[in-house]
Amino acid sequence: MSTLDLIGVSKSYGITEILTSIDISLASGEFLVLLGASGCGKSTILNIIAGLLSPTSGEIRIDGKRINEVHPKNRDIAMVFQSYALYPNLTVERNIGFGLEMRGVGKAERQAAIVKVARILKIDGLLDRKPAQLSGGQRQRVAIGRALVREPKIFLFDEPLSNLDAKLRMEMRAELKRLHRMLGTTVVYVTHDQIEAMTLATRIAVMREGQIEQIGTPEEIYNRPATAFVAEFVGAPPMNMIDATLDADGLQLEGSGQRIGLPGKRGRSRQVILGLRPEDLHIADASDELVIGATVDFAEPTGPDIIVFARHGGNPLVASLPSHLQIDPESQTRFSFSIENMHIFDRATGQRIEP
Amino acid sequence: MVPLLLVMLSVIGWPFIDTVRLSFTDARLVGAGGDFVGAANYQRIFASTAFWRAFFVTTEFAVVSVFVEVVLGVLVALLLYQNFRGRNILRALLILPWALPTVVNALLWRLIYNPEYGALNAMLVQTGLLDDYRSWLGDPNSALVALIIADAWKNFPLVALISLAALHAVPHDIKAAAVVDGANALSRFRYVILPYLVGPLMVALILRTIEAFKVFDIIWVMTRGGPANSTRTLSILVYQEAFSFQRAGSGASLALIVTLAVTMLAVAYAALIRKSAGARF
Ligand SMILES: Nc1ncnc2c1ncn2[C@@H]1O[C@H](COP(=O)(O)OP(=O)(O)O)[C@@H](O)[C@H]1O
Ligand SMILES: [Mg+2]
Repeated sequence: MSTLDLIGVSKSYGITEILTSIDISLASGEFLVLLGASGCGKSTILNIIAGLLSPTSGEIRIDGKRINEVHPKNRDIAMVFQSYALYPNLTVERNIGFGLEMRGVGKAERQAAIVKVARILKIDGLLDRKPAQLSGGQRQRVAIGRALVREPKIFLFDEPLSNLDAKLRMEMRAELKRLHRMLGTTVVYVTHDQIEAMTLATRIAVMREGQIEQIGTPEEIYNRPATAFVAEFVGAPPMNMIDATLDADGLQLEGSGQRIGLPGKRGRSRQVILGLRPEDLHIADASDELVIGATVDFAEPTGPDIIVFARHGGNPLVASLPSHLQIDPESQTRFSFSIENMHIFDRATGQRIEP
Repeated sequence: MVPLLLVMLSVIGWPFIDTVRLSFTDARLVGAGGDFVGAANYQRIFASTAFWRAFFVTTEFAVVSVFVEVVLGVLVALLLYQNFRGRNILRALLILPWALPTVVNALLWRLIYNPEYGALNAMLVQTGLLDDYRSWLGDPNSALVALIIADAWKNFPLVALISLAALHAVPHDIKAAAVVDGANALSRFRYVILPYLVGPLMVALILRTIEAFKVFDIIWVMTRGGPANSTRTLSILVYQEAFSFQRAGSGASLALIVTLAVTMLAVAYAALIRKSAGARF
């Protein structure tokens, strides 16, 4: 049985629909990341799960039981906020223990739980401090500790790392992954950062304007994006999107008019988008069959890779190549790719097509 | 800059220095300049029961009215912070008592307290809480309380507005966190709201205490310090000494004592704020 279910959950403010029929089913121990641009409704979903907002329609279930009418404090859920939301005049110790204190857990038991969690998070030396005396990373740990200590059924995280600097963000990311492995709890985690999503999630739900565009494992999302939106949103640098016509024999690229032959036969021709990830492009040699020609604008070494910015038939084309390659500006280059790395989307609907 | 400073110093400083000089003389309001009498005025004031009585009346007035204002102000702010229909109209109405000139407010309450046709008597008698009409301002036992109510009614909106602004500064996430943590309304007030309320409230408290300590106009209009001096505050006493009894010398001494007391109050408060701010951050 699933731990958390959202069934047809919608939310409107007046005539503005913020969420449209959200369906999510989460098994125990899963780490679901809601990934999407700012304003697409990620926090609204979390707040509905937590009970801080009620949906306009639809049902929320925990362990199969409807909880729409259950007060947030009785939902067995803990939430970590982007702003940390620590109580400013309470010590770290009381901040962490606040949920237990409010639930009438005795002092000794509370203290034991606090110390245990503080050890796990390596903040046991800070228990007497006030939040204002902590660094951003330490505050984040306290906020996580406050959620952990209650041993809830479900953890909700709302962009917990977005206020940290890059190095700390990476550390905390690893830390969260370690915690999830160790505790095996169910997590719903909101972020607009696709790296966070790819590294943390057991499943990702890519959101767009109040709808779930695709939900799947990081591999599915990356290797088989269901829509052009997902394809462009996930991956850095983003996937190359080239307008093309799909006909009986293969693809004809717009701009250059280049033809790419595909095995099998298709019916009527249709307007499509060909998607190629920069990391799936290689320097072609004579034996390669699937090839696209381009003129190099410039190249940026990033360390392990070199990012080549080129043009194909007037459209930009980006390739990520091993850094030992020498790429000269203004040179004509032929990139090869393999058929399983091609992504084709219907241009009108954005839906993935299997050619 | 320097000439400007000199002008300012003399405009502000000269009357002050002259008051200090006067306070050591037996000068009358009209007539000759008066003779130097040393600290005699001060000695007489501190030995007089009138001064100490006025001091306690002032303290009672200030403490009780500010206490009522703060409690009422915070409660009303909490109420107006909730989401309900007509909230904005009520918020606008809230400013009314405070916007009223003190003299108008005083006259208004004199009408309410009027022993023959006052609204308070009518209301209390009609609801059976009182057997007979009473002279609220004419009775030494009720006059000060009646004044305090009138003053608190006028001034609680300031506290309410300051509190309301502070309430809106409480971060939404912290309130949400407390709800998820299972805190009830009282705990949420104690641990989430109050920390954000204390600072602004402290400022309101200082402003109001100092103002209440200097109170003159509302009392002058409503009771002139009576009956039987039961509402005679220090400012009223200063006025009577200097103008009614025309004793400019001891009036000046008294005025300086009041000034000193208010200044000490302000300094003590400032220290308190610094201390509580230091404890919190
Ligand atoms: N109380 C509200 N009234 C009207 N619109 C709101 C309200 N709260 C949020 N919204 C709108 O809902 C949308 C989704 O918000 P949110 O869930 O916070 O997005 P995200 O967390 O993905 O950035 C935003 O466009 C926001 O403007
Ligand atoms: Mg958000």
